[in-house]
Amino acid sequence: MELFLQSVVNSFIQGGFFSLWAVGLVLVFGVMGVVNFAHGELVMVGAYSIWVLHAQYGLPYIPALCMAVLLVTTIGVLMERFLFRPKREDPLGGLINSLGVLFILQVAAHVVGGTGPAKQVAPPFSGTFVIEEFLRVPYQRLFAVAVSVAALGLLWFFLTRTRLGWSLRAMAQDREAAALQGININRTSMIAIGVSGALAGLAGALMAPMTSIHPHMGHNVIITAFIVTIVGGIGSLSGAVLAAVLYAFLHTFVTAYISGTVATMSGLLIMVLVLIVKPTGIMGKRVSE
Amino acid sequence: MGANKLTHVAGTAALLIALVILPGHLKYHHQDFIIFLTINVLVVVSYRLMTLTGEWSLIHIVMMGVGAYTSALLSKNLGVSVWLSIPLAGVSAGAVAALLSFPLFRMTQFYFLIGSFAVGEAIRLAWVYFVYPFGGSSGINTIPSPELFTIDFMEPIPYFYLVLAVVTLCLLILHRIENSRIGLTLHAVHWKSPLAESVGVNAWKYRTLAFIIASIFVGVAGALKVHYLGNVTPHQFGVGTMVFVLIWVIVGGYNTFYGPILGAIVLSILDEAFRAFEAIRPAIYGVLLIAAIMFMPRGLESVPGWFRERLFRKTAE
Amino acid sequence: MTKTPTSVFRQRFSRRRFLGTTLAGMGAALTTGLPKVGLADAKTVRLGMNIPMTGDYAPWGLPGLYGCEIVAANINAAGGVKIGNDTYMIEMASYDHGYDTEKSVQGFKKLVLEDDVKMVMMLGGSTVASIIPWAMRKKMLTTTLLPSDITPDTEYLVATCESHPLYNVTGVEWLADKFPEAKTAAIITTNDIEYGKQSAATYNAAFEVAGIDVVDVNFHGFDVADFAPIVSSLLSKKPDVFCMATDVYTTPIIEQLFHQGFKGKIVSCTCDGYLDVIAKTSKEFVEGLTFQFPDFDDPALTPDKADFPDPAGFDAAFNKDHAGEWSAVAWEYPSILLNWIEAAQAAGSIEPEPVLSAMKANSSPAHTFGPGKWWGADLWGLDNAVVGNWPVVAINDGKARIQEYRSVYDWLQNNAGVLKKHMQALDLRTV
Repeated sequence: MELFLQSVVNSFIQGGFFSLWAVGLVLVFGVMGVVNFAHGELVMVGAYSIWVLHAQYGLPYIPALCMAVLLVTTIGVLMERFLFRPKREDPLGGLINSLGVLFILQVAAHVVGGTGPAKQVAPPFSGTFVIEEFLRVPYQRLFAVAVSVAALGLLWFFLTRTRLGWSLRAMAQDREAAALQGININRTSMIAIGVSGALAGLAGALMAPMTSIHPHMGHNVIITAFIVTIVGGIGSLSGAVLAAVLYAFLHTFVTAYISGTVATMSGLLIMVLVLIVKPTGIMGKRVSE
Repeated sequence: MGANKLTHVAGTAALLIALVILPGHLKYHHQDFIIFLTINVLVVVSYRLMTLTGEWSLIHIVMMGVGAYTSALLSKNLGVSVWLSIPLAGVSAGAVAALLSFPLFRMTQFYFLIGSFAVGEAIRLAWVYFVYPFGGSSGINTIPSPELFTIDFMEPIPYFYLVLAVVTLCLLILHRIENSRIGLTLHAVHWKSPLAESVGVNAWKYRTLAFIIASIFVGVAGALKVHYLGNVTPHQFGVGTMVFVLIWVIVGGYNTFYGPILGAIVLSILDEAFRAFEAIRPAIYGVLLIAAIMFMPRGLESVPGWFRERLFRKTAE
Repeated sequence: MTKTPTSVFRQRFSRRRFLGTTLAGMGAALTTGLPKVGLADAKTVRLGMNIPMTGDYAPWGLPGLYGCEIVAANINAAGGVKIGNDTYMIEMASYDHGYDTEKSVQGFKKLVLEDDVKMVMMLGGSTVASIIPWAMRKKMLTTTLLPSDITPDTEYLVATCESHPLYNVTGVEWLADKFPEAKTAAIITTNDIEYGKQSAATYNAAFEVAGIDVVDVNFHGFDVADFAPIVSSLLSKKPDVFCMATDVYTTPIIEQLFHQGFKGKIVSCTCDGYLDVIAKTSKEFVEGLTFQFPDFDDPALTPDKADFPDPAGFDAAFNKDHAGEWSAVAWEYPSILLNWIEAAQAAGSIEPEPVLSAMKANSSPAHTFGPGKWWGADLWGLDNAVVGNWPVVAINDGKARIQEYRSVYDWLQNNAGVLKKHMQALDLRTV
């Protein structure tokens, strides 16, 4: 019973992270048509920022978190302006450019952090929320879940209640039609990747005190984000969030009751299954090709 | 046209002669380097055949692993001669590709890219998970090398000639396939898919065919590699390796037969030259990659044409 | 060491003795105003390191190169080493294979054929497996940190320093003695063969011998972002002892143990980042955490227990230039280097074959924690690994301190059969 409850809580925490990872990827793909393979590295940069600013230079956690978000947003915007925009008609070129960025960011992390063992950041919120014999959740994780939910709520508000958000969604649905209606593609793309970068930076900064920080940590992020994106339906933000939570439950429970390797394998196989049976994903509306 | 063909034949012949003479003049560890490089040439050329249909997969390196594991298991556990296990490696990679084509080719484009990655990664995880017969993460060791008269195929130079012979043969076959009716149809599948289908070309069938052929040849490449290295691990066939194949093909250029070869050779040599800057090597790769995409979108294969044009213009003036 | 009967060999070739005499000789030469004859005449011997210096495995390669460079610089500054009739300066030649089998083959050949090294030190695993056929045929002296790389055919491959994961038995033995109330244990480990499963099998055997029941073993991959589910699962079995068989993820795992309220004993193979662990949990929580690798400024590394010249000075020199990069290999590769010097002096030659013969001829070879014995035939078909004493380390008041030295060799003499049984249960290769 304790394991079951604990796993439910663990699933929700993972679900929050999976959502942050995937929503950014979905947004960029939906609006710009680019598969950003460097998305995981953006999360990694967010985590490294916390290690440098908070753990090394002693900046308090919250300002360090804000700066991490700002930094990663800037990297995202620069990528859009100089790498994705010139390759708008060539999705393969954009994809390859993002691979280039992936390598560069990994090396940058190496240069900043050295080749030593993975970096650790002491949690700014210590202590654990305890219901004896039932449940134990570290405050750091509660904070992370709360911030993730708030960020996703804010994004939902932005997309559904503002003009800019509306133009973003229009672009994601049909780029050409949106352009014909006078939506500024450059500006919309820049906002999309800015939001994507902010979410990635936020995810990295929130994860930093709970995980091992190393240059290759983005690998896991991108694989999970792909699984979630495909299962949720490419271009569907609500689908991504739903799939993220479902996948987190699957992964957590299979890991807890069977094995972690089986959990990853079953995630991949479910993704293939979805691709075969319903390539548009559980919530996707866009037709493929 | 005839003159162009003549230069191609002459160029290829010169390259082959150079490759035959070369190994004796190299440093020892560079002899190993050109063995792996020659094998990688087969990897990229077979990959390009797949991309002719317009589909980019991330499973190619895993198919190489299928060949590698097949040949290793056959020769080590069942005592099959290496001369037989190498072609069988191709056959088994082709067979696995045929099986996988049923789920995979229900997808196209981006979906296919990601789907192929997922299937490949699941296969690779299975090699890690099933210690029997695949040996888990440490893979299979002490795989026999080929035997022929008194030739010692553990030494790099004899093995290089073996690899060169097999790879040259495979490239000839691949070249013939591309210029046959099948090859032309593959191009048609890519560029005018709806039209091709309207005149009765079954795109699904040709995509599958390209995938199977590419897998057969990359399976042979995998077998060539394991019988020299003597061991095979799942680690060798990760998505990281696949990314390098993608980079070689794209930087080299995928519109001509020789583009990927150029990419693999030039980038591998640069890679070896950057060994002194080991820690930042991937970033150098990243910068080169972006530079190639931004400023040379048709890849290295466009360079000779560019020079020819300049030269031609000069002489015309 | 002084208490154990020492062979003639040991008396002649003790490391500290040779360093001491060289230093004394240098001092005498300087005070009498003689020119540095030794330096002018010195030849150079190159020793190779074919190791990962970049990528995920870099922490098990690069610090070793740094360590060897410190030790070699000390030796050279003291006038080099006398082998046979010549004095040699030590030079390290390294190749970064990034834990890639292709690169490993190229690097090995480069070191042997182009840099003319007399020994190649390696980490182990698939990168060693891929060079074995060639190295054995060339009769090249090669070292590994993983004795499980040894097979009946690897005559020239030795494991003279770390005997991963055999030393783990000492920690469990010590814990069972100190805390007889511990009855059950849960093990977490990576699912790879070379590191994770070998170590898990050893812990299984050690717990069985100690009379502790293993209630669950979890094998996880290298892609775990969050250890909460795995730790929850293991803790639901209510173990008294929580055992971490591989070292990559100790910090996040212990953090989870802390948050999920684990009250029992924690045993780990290594815990290089224990300061991080304390920062993430609390000093009280990690008190008594038991593992196998001492800091080198540990006062218990006294000359009679640890055969390593000036451990504290080495520790300081390393942390001055490479702060934050310390891992166990930082002293393990230098220790192998010292083993080589002793054997070369015994052989009077720097060539691989006589050096190996001298190594193997020594019935109580040098080992970092006192003299050891050649062992391995029982499990892998060849006595090419040196096992001896190994320290048990525990955290006391926020600092890793050696609690006791225990004999791995004695344990293996009594319990090799149990170990073999558990290795076979995990499909690990044995003879």
